[in-house]
Amino acid sequence: MNTLVSRFTSSSSTELKALDSRDPDYGENEASDITWGSLGGFGNLGLNGIPSFNIPTVPDPTAFLRLHTDDAADSSCRIKIQHGTTTLAFRFQGGVIVAVDSRATAGSYIASGTVKKVIEINPHLLGTMAGGAADCQFWETYLGSQCRIYELRNRERISVAAASKYLSNLVYSYKGMGLSMGTMICGWDKTGPAIFYVDSDGTRLKGDVFSVGSGSTFAYGVLDQGYRWDLTDEEAQELGRRSIYAAGHRDAFSGNTCNLYHVKEDGWKFIGNYDITKLHYEGSQGAAYGYDQRTQ
Amino acid sequence: MDHFPTNWGKPRDEAVDVYSTYPLHSRPRNQVDTFAEGVQHTQQPIVTGTSVLAIKYKDGVMMAADTLASYGSLARFKDISRLHPVGDYTVIGAGGDMSDFQHIQGILDDLIVEEFNEADGNALGPSEIFEVMSQVMYARRSKFNPLWNSLLIGGFKDGKSFLAYVDLLGTTYQSPSIATGYGAYIAIPLLRKVVDGREKDVTEEQARHILEECMKVLYYRDARSLNKYQIAKITKDGIEITDGLSSKTEWAFAESIRGYGAQNQ
Amino acid sequence: MSHYTRTQSQQHPTQRQFNPYTENGGTILAIAGADFSVIAGDTRQSEGYSIQTRYAPKVFKLTDKAVLAVNGFAADGNMFVKKVKQRLEWYRHAHSKDMPLRSIARLIQTMLYAQRFFPYYVYNILGGIEEDGTGAVYSFDPVGSYEREACRAAGSAQSLVQPFLDNQIYFKNQTPVLGTSHPTHLPLRHVVQLVIDSFTSATERHIEVGDGVELYIILARGRGTQGLDSFKDVQELTPHAEGERLFVLRRELKKD
Repeated sequence: MNTLVSRFTSSSSTELKALDSRDPDYGENEASDITWGSLGGFGNLGLNGIPSFNIPTVPDPTAFLRLHTDDAADSSCRIKIQHGTTTLAFRFQGGVIVAVDSRATAGSYIASGTVKKVIEINPHLLGTMAGGAADCQFWETYLGSQCRIYELRNRERISVAAASKYLSNLVYSYKGMGLSMGTMICGWDKTGPAIFYVDSDGTRLKGDVFSVGSGSTFAYGVLDQGYRWDLTDEEAQELGRRSIYAAGHRDAFSGNTCNLYHVKEDGWKFIGNYDITKLHYEGSQGAAYGYDQRTQ
Repeated sequence: MDHFPTNWGKPRDEAVDVYSTYPLHSRPRNQVDTFAEGVQHTQQPIVTGTSVLAIKYKDGVMMAADTLASYGSLARFKDISRLHPVGDYTVIGAGGDMSDFQHIQGILDDLIVEEFNEADGNALGPSEIFEVMSQVMYARRSKFNPLWNSLLIGGFKDGKSFLAYVDLLGTTYQSPSIATGYGAYIAIPLLRKVVDGREKDVTEEQARHILEECMKVLYYRDARSLNKYQIAKITKDGIEITDGLSSKTEWAFAESIRGYGAQNQ
Repeated sequence: MSHYTRTQSQQHPTQRQFNPYTENGGTILAIAGADFSVIAGDTRQSEGYSIQTRYAPKVFKLTDKAVLAVNGFAADGNMFVKKVKQRLEWYRHAHSKDMPLRSIARLIQTMLYAQRFFPYYVYNILGGIEEDGTGAVYSFDPVGSYEREACRAAGSAQSLVQPFLDNQIYFKNQTPVLGTSHPTHLPLRHVVQLVIDSFTSATERHIEVGDGVELYIILARGRGTQGLDSFKDVQELTPHAEGERLFVLRRELKKD
């Protein structure tokens, strides 16, 4: 209403109008004090620490986003968000094993074979990436800074339960807006090793064994038949690797390499990066994983 | 959640919400003004102008556009100038919605007055006008309220000629010869053959001749054109915009085209 | 060229909506070496089957040691580059130094993600020299996910160029001669030649690629110009030889 009135009452004050962000002919004046200096990197964080987003001025912003990014509904959509994944994590006597593949696909094109799908939130927490790569990367990095603030306030590390709940509450507040993430928050806290599954609907589940993504069914197959609580470290790592190999072998949207992490009491450790083709023909330590190689 | 594994990583579709689980309270809704119903955005052009052509040549820039403003297929206004001088160094030519173009003329005229009032000895040249227009056009597309035009901005200042394009999406580019609308398909090949790579050699006569030639070809083929056009010339001597010109046309061949002239063969 | 798209929504059964995006073609490419980085892009801008201009730069100098290439919707790309440059200038005023490359990469992520619900339709590739003196390439998707890589192609001829690079840079599906191994880093002269060949080949097989190619070459502090001397018309953009050095190399491509 006020905009309407001011537009028709002031005719001479073009100078002021030019700076007025409400004027339809000019862009918004996004520059505020917080975009300066050391906050430069996270300049869109408001004073309350929650980032602000530019929402398209259409009646249904979510429909707009889907129209331009959902290649399942319309393959001619311009902005292709990468997807297709296998990720897994399981808890055992020696900690948590996290294993993922490294393939990103856009339609049938392999956009990348070197994606880092394990996000190192801090030295004690790992997150996995399935769904929108940017959603996972951005929000889990953001979660990292919130966990650091928690440490400074409370003089102790955040529990895996609290960290994952922070994330699930956060994505729940954006529910229905088109975020897409299926992640496992893994770590070791006062309660011992812990895994929480969090997705963009706000689902949050505590559990021992999870696998997420298009290749998850294949990974579960291997994982479930080999899983025991009292696995040794070496056996557990081999199980994680073998499961990702199976998914990479049978799921077209997964593959390239396997990244393996092991979370112990003193934090996580990167175990290695394994070429899935190499695992097929040569295995990781001796025996090849491939069917032909094993049965010859 | 769509738990079917192969659908992972795609934006979810709220058209299907089996369990009604959406927290509608927190969903962002764009603020709706009481008068929203009465506020209209240009979602399609109404009274439209067709192509604008422009080239660089030895002494500056030359631009051409016909004087027709169509209302759909109706040749509604036959004496509308689509070449508009901005300050002493720039001409802006427009295709697309004519009411949006008039709004742009208003913005630019205000801008020139403001700049004049500063009295600081600086005047806006074509590159500054282009910068303003590209920002305005991009800002409006980003608000989903575009100014439905394709604009050519040509000028000559401080010994340099300038020619650029900006459209309703905010897309911009510069080139020695540019044409909008049908001109981009019909006139550009003719213009590029004469101009591109020879901008510094093309004389005023050659420039005028090729533009007239293109306007004639466009009049033959573009059903929304008129054989009355203006040519603007921007050089070190300032802006010169002609009155309505027309090309000599030849229609005798029309008789021999089936379905075009007399229908008795 | 149509500026409409149809959209279904519950409140408005069918709605004609203004489509704020278009695609302007072209391809960009970057390769990182041990102590240099090469970032390149063709200069054609098109819409549909029309070539709008034969010279519209897609590669931009950000600092003496950072170069950004943008591809996709040209208006979004130009606006994005403008905003990144503005933020880097503010950083310079606040800290009296240029922002380090890895920080620019993170900045670009947050700037892209701020538009998560109204994305910039732009694929970004950032190339330059890290603080430790190594060559680096960062590639981004339109909403900000990013990764450091050794080489990356993006744009309309991505699917033509990237497999070539995989083969020639990463030596994918090649077996080394017995008793030898593939080099981990290629020499500059070889890399520049590969980049030029990528663009001439993409020009042959993709209609949206052509007219010209611009290569930006960044050399680490203290590295000589070896490998660059054999190329004609290399123009230096940095004023002095201390610190990182930035060069630009332009080559014509076929215009049909």
